[in-house]
Amino acid sequence: MLSADFILQAVINGILIGGVYSLVAVGLNLIFGVMKIVNFAHGALMMLGMYIAYWSATLLSINPYLSILIVIPLMFVLGAAIQNFLINPIISAPEHNQLLLTLGVSLFLENLALFLWSPDYRVLATPLARINYYIGDLSISLVRVMAFGVSMACSAALFIVLTRTDLGKAIRAASEEREGAILMGINVRRIYFICFGIGAACAGVAGATITPFFPVYPHVGGLFVITAFVVVVLGGMGSFTGAFAGGLIIGVAESIGAIFLPGSMKAIVSFSIFILILLFKPTGIFGGRRG
Amino acid sequence: MTRSNHPEILEKKLSRRDFIKTTVVAAAAVSAGSLGIPTLLKAQPKEIIIGHIHPLSGSLAFDGQELQNGLMLAVKEINAAGGIKSMGGAKLKLLSADSEGKPDLAIKEMERLAGEGAVAVLGCYQSAVTVVATQLAEKLKVPFVVSVAVADEITERGFKYTFRVQPNALQMAQQTIGHLAEIVKASGATVKTIAYLHDDTAFGQSIVGHVDKFAPAQGFEVVIKVPYSPRSPDLTTEVGKIKSAGADLVMATGYFGDGVRAYKTMKDLRVSAKAIVGCANGAYSHPKFVKELGDITEYVMDGNYQANLLIPRTQSAFANYLKDYNTPMGTSTVFAYQGVYVIADALERCKTENREALRDALAKTNLSEHILPQGPIIFGPDGQNVNAAATMMQIQKAEIKVVWPKLFAQAAPVFPVPA
Repeated sequence: MLSADFILQAVINGILIGGVYSLVAVGLNLIFGVMKIVNFAHGALMMLGMYIAYWSATLLSINPYLSILIVIPLMFVLGAAIQNFLINPIISAPEHNQLLLTLGVSLFLENLALFLWSPDYRVLATPLARINYYIGDLSISLVRVMAFGVSMACSAALFIVLTRTDLGKAIRAASEEREGAILMGINVRRIYFICFGIGAACAGVAGATITPFFPVYPHVGGLFVITAFVVVVLGGMGSFTGAFAGGLIIGVAESIGAIFLPGSMKAIVSFSIFILILLFKPTGIFGGRRG
Repeated sequence: MTRSNHPEILEKKLSRRDFIKTTVVAAAAVSAGSLGIPTLLKAQPKEIIIGHIHPLSGSLAFDGQELQNGLMLAVKEINAAGGIKSMGGAKLKLLSADSEGKPDLAIKEMERLAGEGAVAVLGCYQSAVTVVATQLAEKLKVPFVVSVAVADEITERGFKYTFRVQPNALQMAQQTIGHLAEIVKASGATVKTIAYLHDDTAFGQSIVGHVDKFAPAQGFEVVIKVPYSPRSPDLTTEVGKIKSAGADLVMATGYFGDGVRAYKTMKDLRVSAKAIVGCANGAYSHPKFVKELGDITEYVMDGNYQANLLIPRTQSAFANYLKDYNTPMGTSTVFAYQGVYVIADALERCKTENREALRDALAKTNLSEHILPQGPIIFGPDGQNVNAAATMMQIQKAEIKVVWPKLFAQAAPVFPVPA
């Protein structure tokens, strides 16, 4: 039963879904790294990205991948607004207050979606979802490859912004040393809402890329956000490369784990990694220093 | 003047007046009765309150609202046809309660409905919620007719006030396997092995347990059981296991969202089998499954509850539903709708709002006029409908058709499925 094809198939699909985990985690980690805020609303933001892609495709007949061009600005503005009007007023409050606030935002968004779009499952019917490539007995689904590719491209673009531009330098400065950054004339408040905007856009894009093969419903974000938290801890809180690599690792670990552990038990693999990392390397695989 | 200054006198006056009034009315009633004139009560038919508890908000709101629509339609039809005739044309009145899908709220609402005079209560769509609501109903001695809830244990606790019309997990699994065996036999194909993909909640576990037990008697063997978490975003490995098993048939049980994901993955990985057959599958006999996944769903089968679509009674109920709510009546809604008729039938026979008398009447139910693909609705000593039936459905030309048993079939089954 454990044929090479079977394991290879598990690894391939693990990597493909892992790419999406990566993008979700990168956004989550950017928000955490810069503002030290654990964003529980990340799953809800991802869900909004899915709905935007779904409605653009069904109402406006926009290709689900082109709809990312709508998702990015909308989610950026929403994220920036959440940061500016909700989180900023309590930015210096104790961490658990901020946590409760993002949890509240998450509940609000999910119930808003319930109210506006009903709890109905919606499946985006696109002919692209039918296309599969076969190599021998291996199957590679086009929409999954697209989700992986788009997620990778977005992560790469974000990486370039962070490392090669003045904005990226300012973001990194604000993340490493808030007071210092202020003294250097960086408008940290502006950096904060840009970061939250980018984080929200990452969640939205991740949502949009999976819409062609994943049913959309108001509570869908919950399926991904817990995994994203594991990824963030695995890779190292605040580490970009850590979140990126962690996504791929968890994707493959879950896929391989399902070979040996049935049903919900496969989550044991990722949560065991989570606990081991917390015990032995709390800064994460790629996290050098503690923030 | 005196009245406003001396309220206590007013009170006394009023109570004296009340006393006189009551006496006069009583005297009139007694004399009227002795004269053989119909009593005053008959002049204006009273309302009989029927309560229901469903998830009207929260993540199952869509399902709960649909069931409520089914209840409202049945009440409307019964009232339009003259109410409960043996009780002077008394009209039914529906009292709604929202469980939000939570057992604790269902308990609170059950208490409220009983307090507000509901003669019987329907509910609750989820097994876990129904288990606790029926427990309280038993204690309060309120007849409880289960609209939808599949768990066997609901009617296995020796309760006297719980009745269920729909097939439970055992009936669902046993009959699905039975229909399947007959279809296989009629086709002349040979089927020996089954690979089973199922969700690992109580729902999937109980169904697969029963299938495993009944399969050998029909010459089938469940060679692999692959559980999956409905919350898992990717099911490649699980479906890969099913594929590697290379069984003659693939069977699947799950909810809608994960059912869609699992099916899509089966098609991506080119799982081949003589047929893909659901058992009580939340996706495979849902019109939305066909609509959204398109022609890759062709020939998928599902053993599940359904109405008897061949009789005028069902057709008129479906037409009325479509007219009122502008959407086709779902299979779960059928059982909410039918539940009201079961209560109305018992009221017609017991002629009273007394809950104990109503319970006794429900226990003696023998209702042949219904919209289900079964013989008369008769409850066993445990309250389970002994004739409850699951039918085999198949998606043919993008429509969900009943294909077995032949008595209720709209089309002939296509088996084995063309490659």
